Amino acid sequence: MAGSNALLEIKGLHAGIDGNQILKGIDLEIGPGEIHAIMGRNGSGKTTTANVIMGHPEFEVEKGEVILDGEDLLEMEAWERARAGVFLSFQYPQAVPGLQVGNFLRKSVSSIRGEEAAKGSIFREDLSKAMESLDVPRSFLARYVNDGFSGGEKKRFEILQLMLLKPKLAVLDETDSGLDIDGIRTVSEGINAAIRDSDSGALIITHYSRILEHINPDKVHVLMDGIIVSSGGPELATKLEEQGYEWLQQE
Amino acid sequence: MDAASEYRSLGEPDRSSHLWRYTPWRRVHPTGKIDEIPLFDGPSLKLMSIESEGTPEGVRLVKGASIPSGLPKNDELTSNFLIAASTESQYTLEVDSGFSSENPVILEIDVGENPSVLHLGIEVESRVNIEIVTRIVGASDWFGFMRSGLIGNGSIVNDIVINLANRGTVLRSDLISVGRDAHLRAGTISSGSEKTKADLRFRMGERGGNLRVLGSVMSAEKMHLDHHIEIQHDAPETFSRLSWHSACGGESRTIGTGMLRVAEGSRGADAAQIFHNLLLSPNAEADSIPELEVMENEVVGCGHGTANGPIDEDQLFYLESRGYDSSEAKRALIAAFLNSTLSEMGSETMHNWLVGMLTEELEGLYQKT
Ligand SMILES: Nc1ncnc2c1ncn2[C@@H]1O[C@H](COP(=O)(O)OP(=O)(O)OP(=O)(O)O)[C@@H](O)[C@H]1O
Ligand SMILES: [Mg+2]
Repeated sequence: MAGSNALLEIKGLHAGIDGNQILKGIDLEIGPGEIHAIMGRNGSGKTTTANVIMGHPEFEVEKGEVILDGEDLLEMEAWERARAGVFLSFQYPQAVPGLQVGNFLRKSVSSIRGEEAAKGSIFREDLSKAMESLDVPRSFLARYVNDGFSGGEKKRFEILQLMLLKPKLAVLDETDSGLDIDGIRTVSEGINAAIRDSDSGALIITHYSRILEHINPDKVHVLMDGIIVSSGGPELATKLEEQGYEWLQQE
Repeated sequence: MDAASEYRSLGEPDRSSHLWRYTPWRRVHPTGKIDEIPLFDGPSLKLMSIESEGTPEGVRLVKGASIPSGLPKNDELTSNFLIAASTESQYTLEVDSGFSSENPVILEIDVGENPSVLHLGIEVESRVNIEIVTRIVGASDWFGFMRSGLIGNGSIVNDIVINLANRGTVLRSDLISVGRDAHLRAGTISSGSEKTKADLRFRMGERGGNLRVLGSVMSAEKMHLDHHIEIQHDAPETFSRLSWHSACGGESRTIGTGMLRVAEGSRGADAAQIFHNLLLSPNAEADSIPELEVMENEVVGCGHGTANGPIDEDQLFYLESRGYDSSEAKRALIAAFLNSTLSEMGSETMHNWLVGMLTEELEGLYQKT
C-alpha cells in the first residue's frame, strides 16, 4: 500500500460537536506534491474537516486517524500542528484589532519556520516577494490583522501567509470565494508555486471549478453529509458545477 | 468659603449616587476618616523629553496653580478635597503660544514611599502642537492628583497619563477645557496601584472643539480600578469620542462609567462612547455604564455601547493555527486589545515609546492574572 509514502492520511474520521456527529467516516490520502479538492453542499462538513485537521478545540474526534508525514496530528494542539507543518486558510479569517500585520507575520514565521527565517533581511526579502506576487500593498504591514480588510483582501492575506510559512500541508477553505477573476489567478499561482514540485500537499475546499482550472487538482472528492461519496479527476468538478449534487444523491 | 470648608460642608456622599456607587469615598480617602484633610508633601517632579535631556524652550513647570473659569462642572467633593489637600503642592505646566515640537515631553511624577498630593495646572496657549506624557511612579500608600486647565484655541495636544504606581490608592481628578478648534487626545494608561478612583472631565465650550478620550487599563490580583469620564458639549460643531478598554484578570474589578452631556445649542455635535472589557479570569469583574444626556435635537450623532467578554476562542484558534502557543496567543490578544486604544493616543514615536515601556509591565501583570 502507498499508505506509508502518503503526506496526509485520514482514516475513518468521525467527529462532531456537542454530541452531534458531523463527520461520519472520512477517508482521504494526499501524496507529496499533490493537490486535492473537496466539493460539497453547504453544511456537508467541509469546514469541519478543515477545522479537525487543524485542531480546533471545539470539535471532538470520536474515531479515526489523521497522520501527517507519519506523525499523529490528533495527539497535538493546534499550534503544535502548525509547527508540524499544517496550514489552514480560513473560510472566514479572524480580525485581530490591535495586532499589527508586520508583527504578526514575523512572529508566525519565527514560530513555524524558526528564528533564522524571521531575521531581518531574509524575512524582509521573503515578505517583499510574496507581497509583490499577490499584489498586497506595503501599507498593509502597518494595519491590524484582517481588521477592515475587504473579503478579497482577507483571502489574499491568507495566501500571503501560506507563502511565508511554507507548510507541508495547506488546507484552503473556500479561498476563492470573494476573490475577483484576477485574484483567483494570482492566488492560484501562489498555491501552485508553494505546492507543485515540492514535497508539500494541498487540500482545496471550493464550490467552483474556476480555481481548479488554474490549479488542475490531482483528485476531486465530493463530501455529502460527512462522508466522501465520490472521487474522481478534475472533470468531476465541472460536472458538479453543471449538474449540481442531485445525481450523486440518487446513486 | 475655602475649599476645605466647602469639602466639610458636603458630608459623605450617598452610595446611591451614580458617582459613588462602586467605590465609596471612605475607601479612597487617605485615612478613611472623612473629616480629615491631611496636608501631604508633594511628589518629586521632573520635566524632560523623550529624545533629549532637558526640556524644550517654551514648555515649563512653574509653582502655583489656579482654577480658571470655563472648566467642566466638577465633582465638588473630589475637587474641593484635592484642592484643600494640595495647598503646599501646586504647579502649573505652561506651554507658550505657537510652540510646536514632534519630540514628546515627559512629566515624571515620583510619589516615593509616602502619601502625597499634587495639583497641576495646565496652561496650553493657542496654536500649540505638543505631546505630553505624565508618568506616575513610586510605591506610596496614597496619591491624590488633580489637574485643571485649558487647551488653547487651535492647539493640537496629545496628553497621556500613565499610572505605574505599584501599590496603594490613586485618586485622580481632571478638569480640562478644550478651546475653539482645538484637538485634544486624552489617554489614560493604567496598570498600577491597588485602587484607583479617577474622575476625568472635559468640556468643549467653543465651536470646533475635538476630543478623543482613550483608556487602556489592565488589572490583576485584587486591584480595583474605577474611572468616571464626563464629556460636556457646550458649543456647536463639537466632536468627541470615548473608547475605553479594560483587561481584567485575577480577582480584580474595573469600573468605567461615562457621562456624555450635550447642551442645548450644541448643533452639529457628534459624540460617541464605547467601553470594552476583556475578562481574563472567571473571578474578575467589569462594569461599564455609559450614560447620555442630550438636550439638543440637531446633532450628528450621539451613540454609546459596551461589550464584555472573555478572550475570543476563534481569535485564539487563528493565532494558534499560525504557530503561537496557547499562552503566547493569549498574551498577544490581551496586548492587541489594549493596543487598539493605546495606538490612538499619540504619534508613532509616542506609540513605539509606550509599547517599549509597557511590554514588561504587561508581562508582569499577566503573570498575576
Ligand atoms: N461550531 C459549530 N457548532 C454547531 N454546529 C456546527 C458548528 N460548526 C459546524 N456545525 C454544523 O456542522 C455542519 C457542517 O458544517 P460545515 O461548516 O463543516 O459545513 P461546510 O461544508 O463548510 O458548509 P459551507 O459550504 O456553507 O461552508 C453544519 O450542519 C453546521 O451547522
Ligand atoms: Mg465551510
